[in-house]
Amino acid sequence: MNNALEANSLSINRSGKPVLNDISFTVPAGEIYALLGGNGAGKSTTLLTFLGFLEAASGSVSVQGEQVNKNVKKAREAIAYLPEAATLYGHMSAYENLRYFLDLANAKASDSELNEALDSVALQTAARSQHMVTYSKGMRQKTAIALAILRDSPILLLDEPTSGLDPLAIDEFNRLARKLADQGRTILMVTHDVYGACQVADRIGLLRRGKLVGAFDRTEGEIDTETVHRAFAERAST
Amino acid sequence: MKQWQTIFIDEWRLWRRSYLAVSALVLFTLLLLATSIFTGLRMTEEQHAREHQQQEAEETFLSQPDRHPHRMVHYGHYAFRTPPPLAMVDPGVDAVTGQSIFLEGHRQNSAMFADERAAANTGGFGSLTPAKVYQLLIPLLLIAIGHGVVVRERESHTLTQLLSQGVSGTQIVAGKWVALASVALISLLPLVIASLSASTAGDSLSISLALVATYALYLLVWVSLIVLISTTTQTRGVALGLLVLFWITTAMITPRIGVASANATHPAPGKIETELRMYADKRELGDGHNASDPAFEAFRTNVLAQYNVDTIEELPVNFRGMVAQKNEADLTELMNQYAEEKMMQELHQSNHLRSFGWLSPTLATASASQSLASTGLQTHHRFLRETETLRLNFVQGLNQVHIDKLSYSDDINRNNDEESSRRVRVSSENWKVLEDFEFAPDQAAERWQAARYPLLMLLIWFVAFTVSGMYCAARIKP
Ligand SMILES: Nc1ncnc2c1ncn2[C@@H]1O[C@H](COP(=O)(O)OP(=O)(O)O)[C@@H](O)[C@H]1O
Ligand SMILES: [Mg+2]
Repeated sequence: MNNALEANSLSINRSGKPVLNDISFTVPAGEIYALLGGNGAGKSTTLLTFLGFLEAASGSVSVQGEQVNKNVKKAREAIAYLPEAATLYGHMSAYENLRYFLDLANAKASDSELNEALDSVALQTAARSQHMVTYSKGMRQKTAIALAILRDSPILLLDEPTSGLDPLAIDEFNRLARKLADQGRTILMVTHDVYGACQVADRIGLLRRGKLVGAFDRTEGEIDTETVHRAFAERAST
Repeated sequence: MKQWQTIFIDEWRLWRRSYLAVSALVLFTLLLLATSIFTGLRMTEEQHAREHQQQEAEETFLSQPDRHPHRMVHYGHYAFRTPPPLAMVDPGVDAVTGQSIFLEGHRQNSAMFADERAAANTGGFGSLTPAKVYQLLIPLLLIAIGHGVVVRERESHTLTQLLSQGVSGTQIVAGKWVALASVALISLLPLVIASLSASTAGDSLSISLALVATYALYLLVWVSLIVLISTTTQTRGVALGLLVLFWITTAMITPRIGVASANATHPAPGKIETELRMYADKRELGDGHNASDPAFEAFRTNVLAQYNVDTIEELPVNFRGMVAQKNEADLTELMNQYAEEKMMQELHQSNHLRSFGWLSPTLATASASQSLASTGLQTHHRFLRETETLRLNFVQGLNQVHIDKLSYSDDINRNNDEESSRRVRVSSENWKVLEDFEFAPDQAAERWQAARYPLLMLLIWFVAFTVSGMYCAARIKP
């Protein structure tokens, strides 16, 4: 079994306080893993650990079978990351932002590929060459998602990708995520959208106060909206 | 393209698009141009004025009518310190030490201000010179533009975005450093122009370039510090606060503490007290106008023995002139002792202050700058010594005329009547004992020598900030 992402008995402290406590899960290549949990449960922390921004107090994380702390650069190159507060530069247009970050990531993209990606997140054509200070939260989110897609990396870590999106755009995003996974990309995403997660995710993890309190696997037939919703309400509420 | 280059280019894109950075840069460049032109014009004018005054003083001396040579000793002469061309960048101590001296017999006067205006210019505020603008204001410009280079990205979470693209902290910080360094180098343009024009006006090209390099290094110290602070702080406010605090401490407070500490460690003896002591010492040497002063008894015995005669009247030379000459030599030796003591004490103070360059890159730069421009204390001291030589030479020259060209009997009877006083006049041809005086700036080698130590301090500041910056950059956290 080829695991794109792996957390092994991972514990993390932030500012001296335990934030993640003995967490283990795996995301096989080409699957979507949705991490559900209340505010402050440790979801973002989990993603940051895969990028090597935080050091494990114990346990470890691996990207494509290699421990992250052994080769941070390689892990980051394999991952496209959508931060929680999706932020690009206000003094640049969407085009300029995408070009800039793709340049830095050494990823090539033609103009039509840029437009294709922005089409896939449904960002208005007229807005694309305006400075991003003028964008709404949803528009910024869409651009950042487009960037993650364009990176063309095998793994996507998406922190609340649907926050700020209107219901239509959320549906749109879920379809897009499924499509990417079907193309062979691995997605680990944090979300509050239980309904959407149940639609697209292959696996779902419930996180509460730094502990994994529930795991659901689609192949085991464990994922249906009602079950997950109830489990979330009972176990994951803070 | 390398990643740092991409980041460098983006930093400039941000600055171009934000009016604050551009207008700050334009404003400061105008300020620099204005002060450079103003100081350049003022120092060139000063230079011409003093050269002119020097010439005029010499002509006035030489055009004095025939008279008793000792009256010329008291008539006196002026010497002017002309500023070197690089004074248009850094006038140094020019504004505070006085630039002209009245030279006369039996006394060493202190330097005065060449004209009223020069004195008025100081009026408690040092005037704004290019050197001061580079030392004090350009760092503020760099802080204003640069304090956010890295921390801004951290605050807006774009740093996470950058790092997650696989860009290393070193590449990010290097790009930011180069961007801010390029602002610093652009701001040096007026200095380059001023220094080059100083070198066409006679200062050595290598020294002019060394002065530019000194300021470049100084500004790069700031660039490295600003980038270091921006890399390690969590908010722009904290970064700005720390940098301004460092500026206030090192550019404003440390120099003043340094001066206070220098004064305490090498206190200047009271001026009046010293002068009273010197007058007492001088009185013991006798009054050179009075040949029968008991202080000269031994001298008379010696002279009489030397010429193998019994009385002064029998001497083939004028004994009054000999006494004047001997007395001047003795007085000069005494006064030089006091002068050297005073200069030594000033030098100790200045060296003490300079060692505060280990605590303030601004002080180290100011010291190197003055040494390179040849406008520092040591240059002023050389001026004092050279004018003293000039003084002693013309006074003793006139005394020699007194000895050789006036008979003793005419000399002692000079007040009898009109005719006797006419008899002790010597031709104004004799006033040519006065030498031409032209104060030359320090040699390039001497300037280097004096600037080496503060430049070393500056280099260590630079290495310290840059190496810590590199260390923190490699371990950067979003
Ligand atoms: N930069 C930080 N420094 C210290 N503690 C943090 C930091 N960010 C988050 N935390 C703490 O870590 C815990 C988990 O946060 P996070 O992973 O962001 O939760 P979420 O599940 O909402 O994404 C919270 O208790 C939060 O207070
Ligand atoms: Mg979060």
